[in-house]
Amino acid sequence: MLASLVAGRSGVVAGALAPGVTQGGLDYLPQLLNYLANGVVFSAIIVLGGIGLSLVYSIADFANFAHGDTMTVGAYAGLVTMGAVGSAGPELFALPAGFYAALLAGIAVAAVVAVATHYLVYEPLDTDSIGLLITSIGVAFVYRALIQIQFGTGFTEYDVATLRPIPWIEEFTGITVTEHEIGIVLVATVLVAALHVVLQYTTLGRTMRATADNEALAKVSGIRTERVITSMWVIGAGLAGAGGVFLGLYNQLSPRMGFNLLLVIFAAVILGGIGSVYGAMLGGVVIGVVNRLTPVLSDFGVPIEPAYANAIAFVIMVLVLLVRPTGIAGEGVS
Amino acid sequence: MADDTRSAFEGGEDTSQERIETATNVVLLVAALGLLAGAVFGLISPSYLVFLVSLAGMYALLSLGLNVQWGYAGLINFSVAAFFGLGAYVPVLLSASGSPITGALPPIAGLFVAVLVAVVLALAIGIPTLSLREDYLAIASLGLAEVVRLVVRNQANWTGGTSGVGGVPLFFEGVPVLGTLARDIGTVDVGFYTLGFQFWNSLLNAALVGAFVLGSYLVLRRMHRSPWGRVLRTIRSDEDLAEALGKNTYAFRMQAFVLGSVVAMLAGVYYAYSNYYLTPDIFDPIYTFYAWIAVILGGSGSNRGALFGGIVIVTIVEGTRSLGIGASWRLFAVGLLIILVMRFRPQGVLPPRDELIWPAARGGEADE
Repeated sequence: MLASLVAGRSGVVAGALAPGVTQGGLDYLPQLLNYLANGVVFSAIIVLGGIGLSLVYSIADFANFAHGDTMTVGAYAGLVTMGAVGSAGPELFALPAGFYAALLAGIAVAAVVAVATHYLVYEPLDTDSIGLLITSIGVAFVYRALIQIQFGTGFTEYDVATLRPIPWIEEFTGITVTEHEIGIVLVATVLVAALHVVLQYTTLGRTMRATADNEALAKVSGIRTERVITSMWVIGAGLAGAGGVFLGLYNQLSPRMGFNLLLVIFAAVILGGIGSVYGAMLGGVVIGVVNRLTPVLSDFGVPIEPAYANAIAFVIMVLVLLVRPTGIAGEGVS
Repeated sequence: MADDTRSAFEGGEDTSQERIETATNVVLLVAALGLLAGAVFGLISPSYLVFLVSLAGMYALLSLGLNVQWGYAGLINFSVAAFFGLGAYVPVLLSASGSPITGALPPIAGLFVAVLVAVVLALAIGIPTLSLREDYLAIASLGLAEVVRLVVRNQANWTGGTSGVGGVPLFFEGVPVLGTLARDIGTVDVGFYTLGFQFWNSLLNAALVGAFVLGSYLVLRRMHRSPWGRVLRTIRSDEDLAEALGKNTYAFRMQAFVLGSVVAMLAGVYYAYSNYYLTPDIFDPIYTFYAWIAVILGGSGSNRGALFGGIVIVTIVEGTRSLGIGASWRLFAVGLLIILVMRFRPQGVLPPRDELIWPAARGGEADE
């Protein structure tokens, strides 16, 4: 991910100002809008990953280091499905029906894998949240190792044609955005809206919020917390799987894709407030956009290259932890 | 946390500990004899054997360092790889002919500079993170280690960037006698082998890492038993209690963090001078997790366990390599090992014994 970013921006030498900047503020606007648009697409992926991380944090009560690799699992499940279904058939956002099958498969497989992991690994453990955290690192390695054994360590792509930016948008605004990217943002928005409805207006959502708030109290109120925890894994990992498939479409697939993104997602979740799903969404948007706005720094002569995009996210994360550890939204799913 | 959970430090009543320790000793002894016999009968080259032992020492240093932080003080430090890399990069950047800064300093001087830099970096990472809740510390320290990795990869004008630094000299270069020892001995014929420069040089490196391990082990064992170590154990099990007793817990945690980071840094020094070429791969977080497995498997808080964990890591890494098993299966084995240890033996194979009393007070042997 980072490598492609560096390659794409290597033309800008730190210290030399981009043409738009020297010619005057207004000419730089399309470039800035481009970074912003790119940031919105990237943040859609971060948000999908962040929600699950935040749910696990609030309901299962530990920092799940296997969450990034759950995204990878989804992405590769999508790859297999795409290979089986093929890329014929009707298209939406220039994506064939096979891709949507891949998306569903990514969601389903990630959810099944996460639930299986919960029952096989986390559930029998007799340990505290730190023990679970350490165990989740082992789980992450096992996921990644199995993917490497099956698919090799190299990069691969979905069998979807690479698109040129949509001409009329580029003409009117100067923003280069492809139909795929619009598709990513819209589908992610639909998924997030669906989650909002589930959390706020269904019994499942209410029991989930109750369990996150106080598990013991939820239990004595007659909520089957075990069922809630299973649903939490299904929702969190399913969204992560979708995020993984989109990440594969946005960049490429590689066994490290999820792990490499994990810390950025943590940064988003911490910024939003650990344990808060809506905070995770907000944090995801902020971190995603800031991440892609990094080239602005070198365009204006600040000697911080775009390769440091992730480093900036991590520094923001540490600063948030120091200054306001509850994040923007604070504790609790509400 | 609820009372029915158990931390990695408390194992519960364990009557089988004696047997496990005996079994561990037997397995280690058999393995050592097997390797030695292999070398005597010409199956394993002596250079490789020396390399294996040094590598075990290197991983032992990483885990001894982490053990001070996690085992003594309960700090979840995921930035071990940053210090490992630093220990390799600082002396090499000061002494290698391919260094973009200067190749003029002797490596030993570089070692002392590396200690200073490690202390500064430990303070830089520790000051913002050590006051955080434990799981936040894990995430934040991993993030800051990643920042260090990104800086080394991208500031090519200081570090050589992704292409690395070449022309790493021998560690003892410029030192009288030791500097030329490996060349002076020349080649010696013993049975199956001709022991040449390569062998003597790796023997010198093994002596270096051996000295690091022995020195660290003795210092850490002494500190663990001192009042300082006792305060750390109190902080680990109940920080509020330590505060109520008037201890500045932040300062104690910081001291443990800096001390452990310097020990982990020493592993990097060995790594750098046992290779001719250094790349930023050394900052890969996998080294952090290797150290973690070593400490957890060995037994959190136990220095013997940390040494044992170092040996197990070498067995996994080099064993799979010599059997021709790929990196993916190695990763799988490592992941599975973490899960199994946490599931079946969270206190580790050799948990600390008699942590709370001075061993001599019991009249028993003084083995931690």
